[in-house]
Amino acid sequence: MNVTLWGTRGSLATPGAETARYGGNTSCVGVIGDEGTVLVLDAGTGIRGLGKTIDASVRRVDILLTHLHMDHIQGLGFFAPLFRPDLEVRIWGPVSSHISLRERLMRYLSPPLFPVSLRELPCMISLHDVPCGEISIGEFRMTAALVCHPGPTVGYRIVDQRGSVLTYLPDHEPALGASAFPSLPLAWTSGGSLAANADLLIHDSQYSAAEYVNHVGWGHSSFKDALAFAALSDVKHFVPFHHDPGHTDIDIDRMMKEALAEITPACRITTALEGATFQI
Amino acid sequence: MTAKSIQIILARQLASSIATPILLVDEQNALIYYNEPAEHIFNQRFDETGEMPAAEWTTRFAAVDEDRNPIPPKDRPMGRALSEITPVSRTMWMRVTGGEWRHLHVTAVPLVGEKGLLFGAMSIFWAV
Repeated sequence: MNVTLWGTRGSLATPGAETARYGGNTSCVGVIGDEGTVLVLDAGTGIRGLGKTIDASVRRVDILLTHLHMDHIQGLGFFAPLFRPDLEVRIWGPVSSHISLRERLMRYLSPPLFPVSLRELPCMISLHDVPCGEISIGEFRMTAALVCHPGPTVGYRIVDQRGSVLTYLPDHEPALGASAFPSLPLAWTSGGSLAANADLLIHDSQYSAAEYVNHVGWGHSSFKDALAFAALSDVKHFVPFHHDPGHTDIDIDRMMKEALAEITPACRITTALEGATFQI
Repeated sequence: MTAKSIQIILARQLASSIATPILLVDEQNALIYYNEPAEHIFNQRFDETGEMPAAEWTTRFAAVDEDRNPIPPKDRPMGRALSEITPVSRTMWMRVTGGEWRHLHVTAVPLVGEKGLLFGAMSIFWAV
């Protein structure tokens, strides 16, 4: 599968010269299978750029939302393929206790916050509660599970026909409440079953270790904890993702350099860069 | 070891960070965790027993009522919380490791996820 990072920033879109290299668009990752199946992971502002690359021959796109925080849905209304009548768009999102996915998305995709409502979109749109368990989408097998982040939030494990595994955990705090993380086995670690032995892990690394101390419980990880999670999960390639909006490119370079000076990682590490592509 | 759901993982994290004695079981009533305060009540460290099937832990920690009549596992708070999907609270005596009996008030709460999916139950113990 081909994996492209269209938005790598967390929390808030952060355009500008200081963030131009790692990127200012919020979470969005495009996945294209060998047979042409198109998955879109989250609909942050990065989805606008992705939308321009969807070929007219594509007949179906599946958008997998991890959760409905603004930085993961803000770009949805600007995904140009939604305005194609011949395109089937399936939007998947986590279940909530009492309010349907449609109703929760409508809170944003309706006036006065957005001029067009979901029902007015020309494409053939359908909304689906993401089941906790495995389902097939085109050539992919997709597994979702709830993970540690405020509100209903899932992570995804996507496996192609060759057995290559992509794990996407953009907003995830596995260290919360886990004393001396990662002291527990993988089975007792949030997101562990999704990330086990993944070929590519895209994971929340919003904070430095020093910053995390003041953000415990906010649902995000330090780079150090994310790397420990990657090591515990025995992944091959780790992509630190969901950069803090307060971090410039220089800050991110420095954070990674400082963290890696203390740790010898067992896996390959590539800091998430908007536009980066991975073939797995 | 079976991968645990986030609901169970968070329940363990909560239990491991408070001083209230807590025991967790899965939906089959298999014991999957008890915290340090519960270890003091049971006279047994969790690391020494690990996870235990229902038949094993309910035998190891036998329970009787106020009149010293045995309480079968299905009628204990955990068993009822799982079968009736309701919180259950009662006072009982529990035999802990070493043979000593402890007088406890036990409250069991089912852990129910979205769409009514049962993940297990959590028991809280208070010494009477």
